[in-house]
Amino acid sequence: MAGFSYMSDLNMAASPSLDLTSLTYAIVVRCGPHQQSRALSAFQFTKEVLLQGHKVLSVFFYQQGVHTASGLRVVPQDELNLTVLWQQLSLDYDLDLGVCIAAALQAGITNQQEANRYELGSDSLASQFSLVGLGQLAAACAECDRLVSFGGG
Amino acid sequence: MSCLITLSHAPYGSQVAKESLDVALVLSAFEQQPAVLFVDEGVLQLLPGSQIPSPHKHIGKILSALEMYDVNELWVEQESLDQFGLAIDDLSQTVNVVTRIRLGQLCAQYHQHLVF
Repeated sequence: MAGFSYMSDLNMAASPSLDLTSLTYAIVVRCGPHQQSRALSAFQFTKEVLLQGHKVLSVFFYQQGVHTASGLRVVPQDELNLTVLWQQLSLDYDLDLGVCIAAALQAGITNQQEANRYELGSDSLASQFSLVGLGQLAAACAECDRLVSFGGG
Repeated sequence: MSCLITLSHAPYGSQVAKESLDVALVLSAFEQQPAVLFVDEGVLQLLPGSQIPSPHKHIGKILSALEMYDVNELWVEQESLDQFGLAIDDLSQTVNVVTRIRLGQLCAQYHQHLVF
């Protein structure tokens, strides 16, 4: 299956009640920041959607995607740092960056609150990202016009 | 709102199968009426009685929980079954079979489609 999946309801797209000039998107990022081209596609798509004047309800990082939210990644100087790119996009557009808490904790990505709860030595969640439950993905699915997922594989 | 979740990963070896099924369970808890479609290696999740590698949760148990969560619509692609020499009677769950050529029609029945 393609890592990139574009979800749409053909009937809904044809519906005159839906204003196609401004859609509400939900983005799911399941590829890790080390999977450069896929991860970059997710970022560039989201940025373009915003530039085109659409609304992005939330970006949800899941599976390998949670590594994007690590504040402890060091990227070679001549490579793109996707964590920083997402942070900047979040600041520019007041974009909500949600990270699956269960997947993040398994990957060693934790905020101050969870670090205290599990008595870990330190926290590692990059700023602008927040740890949330899968329920946030479900809520975004319910509210968005278009759900676009960028795959792992 | 309804959502079709396509699962194309083998049950064990990574967390992907488990995490994908978690999404189905949560969507159902949020009354999103998810349906699940098994394709490619994803059909292996439906094999009963597989030995579980110790670090993993038993996928069969999660699949059994789907019904309890009102996820009743399970689909499997015929060509994927053929690829592994499986018949519908070999599977642990009651599933509907769809041929590859009809996948587009199936997807169109749902508001959204998440591919894992």
